[in-house]
Amino acid sequence: MRKSFPAEDLARDERFVRVPLTARMADARQVPREATGKRRNGGRLTPDRPDSPEAARVLMHGIFTGEIQALEGAGRTCWDFNVENTAKRKGADDDASSSDAPEVPFALKLDMARQCWDEARHTEISIKLGEHMGTEIGEFAEATFLYEAACNPDPVLRLTGVNRALEGLAIDVFNTMREFGDVSGDPVLEFCEDWMLADEVTHVKMGSDWLRRLTEKDPERRERALEFQRVVDRLFSLGGFRGEEEDSPIRLARRFRELAGFDTTEIDELAGDALAARQEAEEMIRQNRQAAAAATAGQ
Amino acid sequence: MSVTVTPDPFTLVDFDAAAIADIAGRVWQQVGLPDVPLQVEVDETTPLGRAWVLQADPPVIKVESGGLEHNHKPRQFDPDNAAELFGRLLFRLKDRLDPAFGDPPSDDDLSLELSAAWDAYAMGRVERLGYKSQRPRRLYQFRVRHGFSDAADAAFNHLWSADSLTWADIEKTSAEALAALTT
Repeated sequence: MRKSFPAEDLARDERFVRVPLTARMADARQVPREATGKRRNGGRLTPDRPDSPEAARVLMHGIFTGEIQALEGAGRTCWDFNVENTAKRKGADDDASSSDAPEVPFALKLDMARQCWDEARHTEISIKLGEHMGTEIGEFAEATFLYEAACNPDPVLRLTGVNRALEGLAIDVFNTMREFGDVSGDPVLEFCEDWMLADEVTHVKMGSDWLRRLTEKDPERRERALEFQRVVDRLFSLGGFRGEEEDSPIRLARRFRELAGFDTTEIDELAGDALAARQEAEEMIRQNRQAAAAATAGQ
Repeated sequence: MSVTVTPDPFTLVDFDAAAIADIAGRVWQQVGLPDVPLQVEVDETTPLGRAWVLQADPPVIKVESGGLEHNHKPRQFDPDNAAELFGRLLFRLKDRLDPAFGDPPSDDDLSLELSAAWDAYAMGRVERLGYKSQRPRRLYQFRVRHGFSDAADAAFNHLWSADSLTWADIEKTSAEALAALTT
């Protein structure tokens, strides 16, 4: 069984369709928020948004595919790396232990196995929530950038990308959906998201703990891991979709991130990076629109 | 009847004005609207999907491009989504043009609760024309506006299965579902 599985080869049935992130970002129609002030559609996910039921359905489908990818990412981490001191263990003769893959403590793999169990449960919960909201599996396109963050060959960088960046985004998203369930009077959504949120805080805490333990004597590696996390976090800010501004659809969940081992400085940096990602995205959209207008004028 | 679609051609999306006009015209006739020209204004600058009746007489429909777009293919037209959208809007337009229906507020002035209730009434009729209706999706929209309760579900079923309601009936059904939230 091969290692470092690419996103393109993930197993999906005919219901699933993928749209590359580059195709989404190249869409000149995207409306910069500064151009519209308070958006009629869009902005914070609250029931007074006219499109809020639809926005919640789309987001829930994104959570569903994200859970599948989180399961795949944690599952790969269980397989892709060797257990420390495997050669000394009696009877250790599996394929993984004989490869040149980096080594990780057995307890880390155990944590990833527990996470697989959680993500599989979340996937099933998300399917049920999708049905509850009137959504079919595969109704919306799947983006694979979550899984792509789970492909780093260095276990520390992978854990940081997955358990602190990806699962950190999950904290923000689940908290947003939990609040939406609460204010829209939907107990099914509220409680399901609350339970999944509790698991995500644990996953992020595992990432924070393993980052600290594995780099205890290697500050340079820790710095590389944190830099990788920053890159991934910036990507996961989705051009300002996640941020601290009042009109950010997904709000940074400061309290839950603190519970998961983030300190205030880290959260402040994350908020700053999210704002920068938003400004970059808005600039890209402006350029796309200028290019489209120029092309139209040239016709 | 004639349908005019603007813009023509599209520049930001890969839509064909003639294909949109064809579907809008077909649904118009199936809904049973009179033989008058229809104007469809597509806002291709936004990927959002809101659609509304800009004016009833002469009829003008405004659609954001996301409302006509394929869920899996960015910037591509989806005839099924278009038929569903035009069906919903044109049944509401038919209601507006019927003096016996009553006098609902303009789409811009409709509350979110009444808009969801009217949509349920329209989409039930769209389904009976044989088009995609996504009943569970509409039920969820209705519940978000009227509460997650047995009373709300009963109100939704009543609206969905009805064929000759008045605006007063819709207001009453919506109000009863909302009242159940506080009892």
